[in-house]
Amino acid sequence: MSVLRRSIGLVEQECTSCLICVRECPCQCIDIERHTEQVSEGRRPRTVHVLDAFAIDFALCMFCGICVDACPTDALLWSETTGLAAQQRDQLVSGRADLALRAGD
Amino acid sequence: MLQLPAATAHRVAADPSVRVLVDELACCALEVGSAVTTGLLIPELDAHGTARITAVLMSGTVTHALAPSVLAQWQSVPEPKIAIAVGACASSGGPYWDAPTVVTGIADLLPTGGFIAGCPPSPSALIEGLLAIVGPR
Repeated sequence: MSVLRRSIGLVEQECTSCLICVRECPCQCIDIERHTEQVSEGRRPRTVHVLDAFAIDFALCMFCGICVDACPTDALLWSETTGLAAQQRDQLVSGRADLALRAGD
Repeated sequence: MLQLPAATAHRVAADPSVRVLVDELACCALEVGSAVTTGLLIPELDAHGTARITAVLMSGTVTHALAPSVLAQWQSVPEPKIAIAVGACASSGGPYWDAPTVVTGIADLLPTGGFIAGCPPSPSALIEGLLAIVGPR
């Protein structure tokens, strides 16, 4: 795990859309959209959350790492990606594809 | 109107054609100072020297009380110039974005040409971002 707080990545298959990171974030820079689905396999039918959208606004983010610490499934992690700068503010909002890419480095 | 300290002048060591004026508004300015001690930014000795562009680094929280002073300082810089928001507060209001006294980013006040993420951006992130925004294409 990196100690250089450069960026944050998301391992999507680990994310349960529990919203703990969204609630713990002191700047409210994480945005999750999810829906529920019925799963009939297993001993009894269950309802699970399915992730629709995940975005971190790095123009707001303090890089404090509370989301990384709070994530119960280690889906959020520190990334080595540098150079979070842009000519437009919207470009600093990282969606699923960007965050997944960062989780890989 | 509040009086801001004069913006300090530097050059980017990797590209001295970029003149950098640092508006020291809050704590991010300390990290910009670290970029000077690591040699990534070099103090500008000749204040009348020519530069390809002047990058005005707005580093820190801008409150509504401070906004007219920030705007006046930006307007006093001659063209060609670009305003760059350094860190979360200047980019978006940062952790204080929901406070009624805080401007949610300098883009609300003036044409902003670049945003560098971080709280604060490290000296290397600052220079990397600065060159990505105003460096040679």
